[in-house]
This record gives sequence, C-alpha cells and structure tokens, in this order.
Amino acid sequence: MRPVECEFEAEVLAAVLQSRWPERVDASLRAHVAGCAICSDVAAIAGAVDEAREETRAQATIPDSGRVWWVAQMRARREAAKAAGRPITGVQVIALACAMGLLGACFGATSTWFQSALGRMVSSVAGLDMKAWLPAVTALVAGHAALVAGMAAVILLVPAAVWLAVLRE
Amino acid sequence: MFRDTTFNDVSRLDVLDDARADFVMDEEAFRAFYDRTARGVWAYLARVTGDRQLADDLLQETFYRFLRAAGTYESETHRRNSLYRIATNLARDARRRSLIRAAFSLAGDEIERAPSFDHAGATERNADFTRAMSRLKPRDRAMLWLAYAEGASHSEIADVLGLRPGSLKPMLSRARRRLAELLGGAPERNRS
Repeated sequence: MRPVECEFEAEVLAAVLQSRWPERVDASLRAHVAGCAICSDVAAIAGAVDEAREETRAQATIPDSGRVWWVAQMRARREAAKAAGRPITGVQVIALACAMGLLGACFGATSTWFQSALGRMVSSVAGLDMKAWLPAVTALVAGHAALVAGMAAVILLVPAAVWLAVLRE
Repeated sequence: MFRDTTFNDVSRLDVLDDARADFVMDEEAFRAFYDRTARGVWAYLARVTGDRQLADDLLQETFYRFLRAAGTYESETHRRNSLYRIATNLARDARRRSLIRAAFSLAGDEIERAPSFDHAGATERNADFTRAMSRLKPRDRAMLWLAYAEGASHSEIADVLGLRPGSLKPMLSRARRRLAELLGGAPERNRS
C-alpha cells in the first residue's frame, strides 16, 4: 500500500516556510527528501502555496467590519420582519380559499343550469363500462408509446424548468 | 445572494427596529473576529472558487450566516472551523448553481464561471500556481489550501470539508501529488 504520510513532513514544511529549504537544513533531511515521495511533494508545493497565500491576502479588498455588521443587522431585521408577517399571509390565504368555497357553494345551490349539467355528467360517468374501455386505452397507449413518453417527459420537465427559472431569478 | 443595503433602506429602519436581530456575538466581538479572519476566508474562497468577485459576495454571506447560526463554540479554533465550513458550503452551492445554469443555458449566453483568478500583478510563480490550482478539483484545492496556506490539521480539514478523518490522508496525499506534478516540481515516479 502506498504511504500517505511521513514523520518528516512537518519538519520539511517548517523548513520551507522559514526559508531554510534547501540550503540551511541538515544534509540528512535533504537526503531523506530526495528519496521520500511525500516529503519531496511537500517541498515542491509548500513554498508556492505560501507565496500565493501572501499575494492573495494582499490582493483582498475586505469591507470594513463595522459596515459588514451594520448590513448584517439590517438584513436580519428585514428577515425577522418578513418572518413575523408570514402567519398573517397564511391566514389571508385561508380566508380567500374559504370565500371562494362559499361563493362556489352559493353558485351551485342557486344555478339550475349548473345543477342540470352536473347531473348529466354524473349519469354519463356512471354509464361507462370500464372493462370495455380498458383494452382500447391499453392499445392506444401501446400504439403511441413515443407520444406518451414525450408527454410524460414534458410533464416532468416543465416544473423543473420553472423551478430553474425561479432559481435564476 | 447578499444584497447591499441602500440608502432607501435607512428610512425603513424605524419600522424594522421592532424586529430583533439575534446574533451569536455582540458587535465588538464580531468586529475583532472579522478583522482576524476575513482576509484569510476571502483568500480561501478566491482560491477554491477561482473567482474574486464571487469571493467578495460569498465572504459577506459567510459572515452573515455565521452570525445567524446559533452555535456555541468551545474555542477560537472551533469558531474558525465553523466559519470555514460555512464558506466551504457556500462555495460548493455556488459551483452547483453555476453548473446547473450552464447545463440549461440553451442559448449559451451564460456559461459556468471558469476559474478566472486575476493574474494581473501576480508574480510568474504565483501565476503558475493559479493555473495549476485551476486544474484541480474544488475539493482538492480546498484541502491543499487549508493544509498548507492556513496550517489546518487533518482533523480540522476533515471537519471543515465534511470528510471522514480516516479518508482525508490518502485524499490529501493524492491532491498534493497532483499539484506537485502540475507545478513541475515532482516528476511522476513509481512508488511501492
């Protein structure tokens, strides 16, 4: 099994970070690194990472801590206010649904046209012979498998596309 | 994404004053912690995402989420690890979002933000390092940066990246090997 750590790794790393590598270290350590895959990798990358660290940190334009705190406060308060308003929104939705239900019930109870249409629909559904319909439906699906698969894909993909569009917003 | 507060928001402060902002730290403690860690977190985000602008956005989001998290910390190290864990998750989510956008961008007008770390002003060695890092997987970049730039221990890296400590050593070893090869400092060789 390939070794993944070496006891001299920390020593090599320290030597590189303290700019002692390779001239100002023991010859025995240099000899070890020459033959150790792990330590030679550490010696190869540690200096580059350290240099990149210094340059990257120097390039950073960090916002002032006071401003970050203030912006965070503002955002937290806004979110808290929004969360506090959420139950009111829920109650409003329920009230609207109740109102719509009540309106529908009144319409159904008073409209003779609606009652007769509903009666016709119920009687036609009750008269259907499902056993006779089933083979015909199966044959139709089998004959248009590609179309059915396409429709199923659309039904699945449209919500995903809507979700992604919302995500992008 | 973290939206900056505009001057118009200031007029709404009175309304918002009723809503409380419960943070895990007071302002003084936060500012001291921020001053100690922000530059390092920004460098980490910039190196892992390869995108300075994204690092700017994610830095503010990282500190905001840290403040909102109701965490209790045993030590400064524990607190710092939590901060880096939040930063890691945000960088991962940002990458995931950019991949989804690229996959569903039919017109091709929006592509994944490729690592675009600014080479201007960087030394040649640093530019080589940036190029080499951009060819590594984001997780490998994060591992190497935490280990060799931030000096994090194996258990800390595992904690920040959500990995099992046992599996970290071979992963770090492979990432180190790959980076050394890309930097040209260690030729490929047969190992026992």
